[in-house]
Amino acid sequence: MLRAALKGMAARKARLALTSIAIILGSAFIAAALVLTASIQATVDDLNAEAYAGADALVQPADAESRSEDLVQQGIPAEALAAVESTAGVDHVAATVSWAISAIGDNGKVVGGLAPTTAVNWGDEARERELREGRAPETDGEVAVSAKFAADSGLGLGETVTAYSQTTDQTEYAIVGVYGYAGGRDSISGGTEIAFTTAEAQRLVFDGEDAYSVLAVYAADGTGADDLVAALEPVIGAESQVTSWEDYNAEASAQTAKLTKTIGNFLLGFGLVAVFVSVFLIANTFSIVIAGRLKEIAMMRAIGAGRGQVVRSILAEALLLGTIAAAVGAAVGVAGGAGLTAAIANSFFDAAQVSVAVPPTAILAALAVGIGVTVLAALVPAVRASRVPPVEAMRAAAKTDRPITLLTVSGAIIALAGGGAMALGLTGNLGGDTADLTGTAVGAGLVFVGVTMLTAWLSKPLVGALGLIWSWNFAGKLGRRNAGRNPRRTAVTASALMIGVTLVTATATLLTSVKASIEDYFGEAVKAELFVTGPAVSEVPASFDPAVMDDIRAIDDVDAAVEVYYDIADIDGTDQYVNTTTDFGGIVDLFGGTLAEGDSDELADDEIAVNQSAADELGVGMGDIVTATFSRGTEAHEFTVAAILVDNENTDGWYVAPAYVEEFYTTKPMMALVDVADGADIDAVTAAVDDALADEPEVSAQNHEEFVGEVTVFFDFAIIAIQLLLGLAMIVAVIGVINTLILSVLERTRELGMLRAIGMTRGQTVRMVIVESVTIALFGAVLGVAVGLGLGWALQNALADSGVDVFAVPTTLIAGYLAAAVLVGLLAAIAPAARAAKTNILGAIAYE
Amino acid sequence: MSTASPVRTTAVSAEGLWKAYGMGEAQVVALRDVSVEFASGAFTAIMGPSGSGKSTLMHCLAGLDTTDRGTVHIGDTAVTGLGDKALTKLRRDKIGFIFQQFNLLPTLTAEENITLPAAIAGAKADPAWINQIIKTLDLADRLSHKPTELSGGQQQRVACARALASRPEVVFADEPTGNLDTRSGAEVLRFLRTSVDDFGQTIVMVTHDPSAAAYADRVVFLADGQIVEDMAEPTADKVIDKMKHFEELVAAAQGEHA
Repeated sequence: MLRAALKGMAARKARLALTSIAIILGSAFIAAALVLTASIQATVDDLNAEAYAGADALVQPADAESRSEDLVQQGIPAEALAAVESTAGVDHVAATVSWAISAIGDNGKVVGGLAPTTAVNWGDEARERELREGRAPETDGEVAVSAKFAADSGLGLGETVTAYSQTTDQTEYAIVGVYGYAGGRDSISGGTEIAFTTAEAQRLVFDGEDAYSVLAVYAADGTGADDLVAALEPVIGAESQVTSWEDYNAEASAQTAKLTKTIGNFLLGFGLVAVFVSVFLIANTFSIVIAGRLKEIAMMRAIGAGRGQVVRSILAEALLLGTIAAAVGAAVGVAGGAGLTAAIANSFFDAAQVSVAVPPTAILAALAVGIGVTVLAALVPAVRASRVPPVEAMRAAAKTDRPITLLTVSGAIIALAGGGAMALGLTGNLGGDTADLTGTAVGAGLVFVGVTMLTAWLSKPLVGALGLIWSWNFAGKLGRRNAGRNPRRTAVTASALMIGVTLVTATATLLTSVKASIEDYFGEAVKAELFVTGPAVSEVPASFDPAVMDDIRAIDDVDAAVEVYYDIADIDGTDQYVNTTTDFGGIVDLFGGTLAEGDSDELADDEIAVNQSAADELGVGMGDIVTATFSRGTEAHEFTVAAILVDNENTDGWYVAPAYVEEFYTTKPMMALVDVADGADIDAVTAAVDDALADEPEVSAQNHEEFVGEVTVFFDFAIIAIQLLLGLAMIVAVIGVINTLILSVLERTRELGMLRAIGMTRGQTVRMVIVESVTIALFGAVLGVAVGLGLGWALQNALADSGVDVFAVPTTLIAGYLAAAVLVGLLAAIAPAARAAKTNILGAIAYE
Repeated sequence: MSTASPVRTTAVSAEGLWKAYGMGEAQVVALRDVSVEFASGAFTAIMGPSGSGKSTLMHCLAGLDTTDRGTVHIGDTAVTGLGDKALTKLRRDKIGFIFQQFNLLPTLTAEENITLPAAIAGAKADPAWINQIIKTLDLADRLSHKPTELSGGQQQRVACARALASRPEVVFADEPTGNLDTRSGAEVLRFLRTSVDDFGQTIVMVTHDPSAAAYADRVVFLADGQIVEDMAEPTADKVIDKMKHFEELVAAAQGEHA
């Protein structure tokens, strides 16, 4: 029986090859994800190990206790350095000052974009730096820059660079040296770096305090790392902590693991989608292969093969196919993962060398998933095949479609149950927000499964309706009828596409609705026409000199302009978002906020305002007293709650008087709102504001549309990521459609021969197959769009209370999905149509 | 049994046809210098044992298969040497086919199957003519049925209607009764006879059934790729009688040839 199965496989190489592509894709993504995760980890670990190489112990600031503390660079005081240097067993100490700053390139923009430039003190021993040109900085007005900084900024030896930190104003420095790193590298991990004198670095990073970021301690001969750590612990003081170099590296490695895991999970997600869609494809292929072998199986049964043997022979075939495809997938995945690691390591980390790690789990998981999915998917067709009565062998294969009633009824029940759960969840009848949300989500999942089961039933009317597009053409008419001929097969084929399109349509609909809701709010409630702000995605928050506010207010047609400062402060022991502005009433007014209690008078130095839910969170009300410590503040201040704002995303948070700005993390304003006079030319005002901001490289004037675009930029990234997912599902879908069409063409050889005999041209034959293909693909896409829109609508409704109160349809994207489906249909039709056109008329119509 | 029209032109003619399959040792010569003419408005049967080349002859005449040597004409058109496009158009416009397996499209109704050749050509079938065929074949109450809802005899009658629908120069029927019971077979043959007598249709039918051949005006006997006998006004008995002495006929023909 096994030999028969193997011979059978050999005879159907092409179809099996197609099917195995789906398995290979799934396995490859899984292997690649695991290899990439491990390899990036290994590469970054190597990179981390270069830092402070040779040191035995590291002294760092004590762990931050809250987020607000973490934001501000804590320093190791100079006394601690002195104490460490005089400790027995210490050979010498290298003190590092290092933190993110902004530097302006020759194009007037901040260098580095998302990644900021790092300020360091020249002469620390954190990294092995090699001067390439010039010399080390000797005075506070001199700097050496990394080769990568020189390349990115367009500035070189002898030129000046403008740099500033969160607390300092823009300062010009003369570039006296350009350096690289060990191994001839231009950067470490792609970052840009500027080396200052220690005093200047301390002015930028620690506001001039004589403090350090890290002390690298080198032990004298004969002193072990552990002894050194033990000796240092009592002398460094409460604000610092000491670890051995090994522990420091282990910690850095653990930090990297968090990031690499995220990347890995993303790829794993892709792998799982490919695997999920593959199940349909593999099951379909095996059904098809078995359908073509019914006579053979019946004959085997007639000569004495047991049902178990039939099942086993088909499962053996699946096992073999799964093993080969999964092995190829694992190999492709390992190679892909290694290649991807090299690409990422070179472009993002600028690593000296790439370490490729292939964990055994990567190969095992890829094999297990590939083989498991193939065998599982083949199980149902195998059991069905074993039920073929031996008498079939004697009969001409009468292909009666099994009724789809059971499938349809169960699909309808599941879809209805899901719809019911969603309705209950949406109307808040399941008791409790979490239960409602869970109910809605589970309901959405059930609707999805139910509709997938209903595809066979839906295919008849829908395929017919879709095919009407081509009914002007006779070949098209025939193709459309062919597409509707085998509902079960059409349904399974279209499902592969439907799943992908449903997922992307649902998410795209939700994200578009969120964007539309935000835009809607801005259009209606926000009074300010212009916003002075920087990009939402940047490591160092964009800020600007408050002096420009006077210039902006002086512009004709500007009715009001208010700047806002932000900080994360410790209020009554919790991290809270704090704003301040010179015009409290103005900011509430321009952002469209309203006061629930109190008035919008200027806040006194001991007064604080807050939105309702934040107040509720801390259990305070009007007249209550709260204690706040700001990011850079050394002492706590007491405030009396003087006003309470109605909850509103734009005005939520705490408000204090501008007197505390110097204690904020960023001591400069990060945003300004500009109210333009009614009827004024907004474009002209925007240009005037931009002129006023000419010396502020981080911010620009943005209108509503641009501002909302910045706020919602993450959604755009999310939507792009989801389109990639669809692309993958589509590759699998193409294979599925090809498989189905080739089978159809084979089954209808006689019909094709007859049509050609009575005068159908090759062109018409090709058109007929293309129409069938495109109709099946469009059917899947239309269903996917419909279900996806429905789910997206349900999710939007579920989130309506959270502010997503506008339902928006991503029409362009949906049009794109439909176009992509047509493309899938066209691509899939190429081979089957060519095959149909080449049908040998005589062979087709000859007697059996 | 037939009434031949007084003036006859030639509908299909073959001149010196040779056709061989395979190479070297395995070569089988299917047609060996066959020359034959089929008059228009006549019903001709081609008979012969399995492997005699009768199907090959029909395929070559119908432009479904190429010949090695010799020429075929359908009406005034030289079939030999035509490209696929021209052949397709020729089959569509000038030839009708009836197959043993009926070969109806299962997705189309009986009526759509009948008008299929016109639809493929992008033309409209002549409704009066179609109605007449449908009436003659007694298919009026079956028009909206799908092939799977029809009996074998009904399916073959639909196939006959399809073959005649475009008023072709010639209808080739390949064992049209091979899959039918005696009664249904007789119905189909009676219709073919009627279409010759009443509509002046030219029909060339391949068969191995002497009683089917008896419906024809003429029977051409083929053996080992050669025409061994040409019988006018056949009856079943005459055909059976001829077949009983087939070996002698073949021997005679081969002797002649050698």
